[in-house]
Amino acid sequence: MKRFLTLFVVLLALVLPGIAQDWIRTGTGVGGEKIRIAVPDFKVVREEGSAQALNKTFNEVLFNDLSSAGIFDVISKSFYPLGDVASPSDAHLDVWGAPPPRAAMLAFGNLGVSNGALQVQGWLFDVKNAQSPQVLAKQYRESATDDNARLIAHRFADEIIFRLGGGVTGIAESKIYFVSSRSGHKEIWTMDYDGAAQHAVTHLNSISLAPRVSPDNSRIAFASFYKGGPNISLWSLELGRMVNFPAFGGTNLSPAWSSDGTHIAFSSSRSGDPEIYVCDQNGNNLKRLTAYHGPDVSPVWNPKTNAQIAWVSGRSGLPQIYIMDSDGTNVQRITDQGYAVSPSWSPNGQFLAFAWVRHYGPGAPGASDIYLMDIASRKWVQLTHDGGRNDFPSWSPDGRHIVYQSTRGGSDQLWSMLADGSQHVQLTFTGSNSQPNWSWK
Amino acid sequence: MPLDAEIYGHKEAIAPSVFWATALHVSLLALVVFLPAVLTHNGADWGNNGSGGSEGGAMSATLVSGIPLPPNPQAKPENVLANESKGLSQSLPAPAAKEDEKAIAIPDKQAKLKSSKEKASTAANAHDVPKQKPQANTPAPSNVKPREMAKVENVVPFGSGGPVAGPYTTFQQGNTAGGLKFGEGGSGTFGSRFGWYTDVVARKVHQAWQSEVNPGITSAKRVYILFDISRSGSPSNVRIEQSSGIPSLDLSAVRALQRIDTFGPLPQGYNGNYVSVEFWFDYRR
Repeated sequence: MKRFLTLFVVLLALVLPGIAQDWIRTGTGVGGEKIRIAVPDFKVVREEGSAQALNKTFNEVLFNDLSSAGIFDVISKSFYPLGDVASPSDAHLDVWGAPPPRAAMLAFGNLGVSNGALQVQGWLFDVKNAQSPQVLAKQYRESATDDNARLIAHRFADEIIFRLGGGVTGIAESKIYFVSSRSGHKEIWTMDYDGAAQHAVTHLNSISLAPRVSPDNSRIAFASFYKGGPNISLWSLELGRMVNFPAFGGTNLSPAWSSDGTHIAFSSSRSGDPEIYVCDQNGNNLKRLTAYHGPDVSPVWNPKTNAQIAWVSGRSGLPQIYIMDSDGTNVQRITDQGYAVSPSWSPNGQFLAFAWVRHYGPGAPGASDIYLMDIASRKWVQLTHDGGRNDFPSWSPDGRHIVYQSTRGGSDQLWSMLADGSQHVQLTFTGSNSQPNWSWK
Repeated sequence: MPLDAEIYGHKEAIAPSVFWATALHVSLLALVVFLPAVLTHNGADWGNNGSGGSEGGAMSATLVSGIPLPPNPQAKPENVLANESKGLSQSLPAPAAKEDEKAIAIPDKQAKLKSSKEKASTAANAHDVPKQKPQANTPAPSNVKPREMAKVENVVPFGSGGPVAGPYTTFQQGNTAGGLKFGEGGSGTFGSRFGWYTDVVARKVHQAWQSEVNPGITSAKRVYILFDISRSGSPSNVRIEQSSGIPSLDLSAVRALQRIDTFGPLPQGYNGNYVSVEFWFDYRR
């Protein structure tokens, strides 16, 4: 009997894994180590006027840009050897490569102001390569203002990120458009990606919602109560005024640009029930995509192919995320429960970020958090935890960052994070700010 | 007439054997019938209670591949403040310095800075204070030899380790390892001249690789993939140079490269139109 039992156990052991095993298709880790980069302060070589103040701005912005890029381990300045590194002759790579800095890369340079012009020279050196260390050498010249010091730092940081990040353009020069009520009305505002230079774009003294900038950064489509509505409106950033866009009647909300800039998808209740429509960039050739009882809102294109649209539909009760082809066929439901809204498609087309209350309703104290779903496998991760109500995620053009709206600080403010859910940074602090949209480049 | 009367030497009890054999087969049948019902998923449970999805909003999958970000180290195992690279050889602890019995202790320099009150009290107690106490602050006696490092000729000195800047670059990911070798298309010194670019390539390939290998495979021969990187940085001409003999592994390696749009433009100092890369891949679990 004992023999048979043993045999049975052996058979069980053989059969069990055969059935339980499945084909797993999950990334276990990404990339190697982060690149250790040292960024010693740039040195002022020609001092005139506010050179020191400009240098301070430049150094802060450059350090911050590289720190928030997500691919670098920026070495703390307390580890740096003494002495300025203003030019390649000052760069003692053996010192920088050895502990404590143990840098793999060294970004350094100098800054000077002469005749009202700010001139910056920057280098990027590969510390491990003593023979030909130079990766990058750049020279910039702009009029000597604080904004230009910031701009040059952004450009130099983007160059470094482009080189070392594998051809993915940096986002230091990108903008974020959002809705702010700090002037008393809900207007469209803009700011740099790091929260600097916040200013109003529209002054309509009305209610403007859901700004979406066009892929060429020339126009903003948004929903506005300006002249009745709400209608889809277009604001030209080049002309600084509204441009013509037809009023379709009913409630028109949540416009979305296709990534080639030729089409706009939006939600309209002109037929009585909010449905998804697509039209050309100037409002012609209106086509209805959905025809099902229940609200359909917040469309977003797959920016990689423009062949799919994700949107929010209430056809089955609580709002859920759906996907369809851009001609309205092949409708699939993506989320299976709770309350899912505000989809944002990642630039590489692989992920959807959205706000989700997974357990919604009485007795389920769920919070709205940002989630990420791999569309092919339908696997998801939660990106925000335990931090108020989070909504309206929007991807950065490099696919490494997400900006979103959160009440974790007490009021509705904008935050950004890396797309793996780390490095949450608050961007806005005054008034009530919502519905961010990251520019395409 | 019983047939078995004289043919068999002894009588064999067949009933228990038949019973156990029947029991075994019945249990096996039950196993085959019921196990799939127990183990397989219903297909509709990917949202909440499916594989890996735990209640309360915890992570359901590590979905970081595809996001072009390096891994985020949640907790560092040790606090290596100043020196993370320990090199290959570690210095031995210095032998404890023997105190010379006859040496006269150097008086405490800090004693001067003490307040007059303390001075008075220390003066009063000067004879009572044990002599070892001020020695704690004194510098080491000059006759103690400087700390000696273990000298080995052919290893990287302590603290000077790190990736080798050469034509080869490697990476490891879980139970797999990969490596790159930059070949012709130009001068052949690409890897040593542009080490940072080879690192970028290794990192990108590493990010793009996903474990699509048949889980039954525990180890495989090394698979070699060849591809070219054009001036603009896009990989092309991906082909298997030497198969591992396991199609799923070969395919996962090729797919890793097909997922990559660009590695970024080739370095400005490089004159060739393209660089060809040999990429090897080990799999072991």
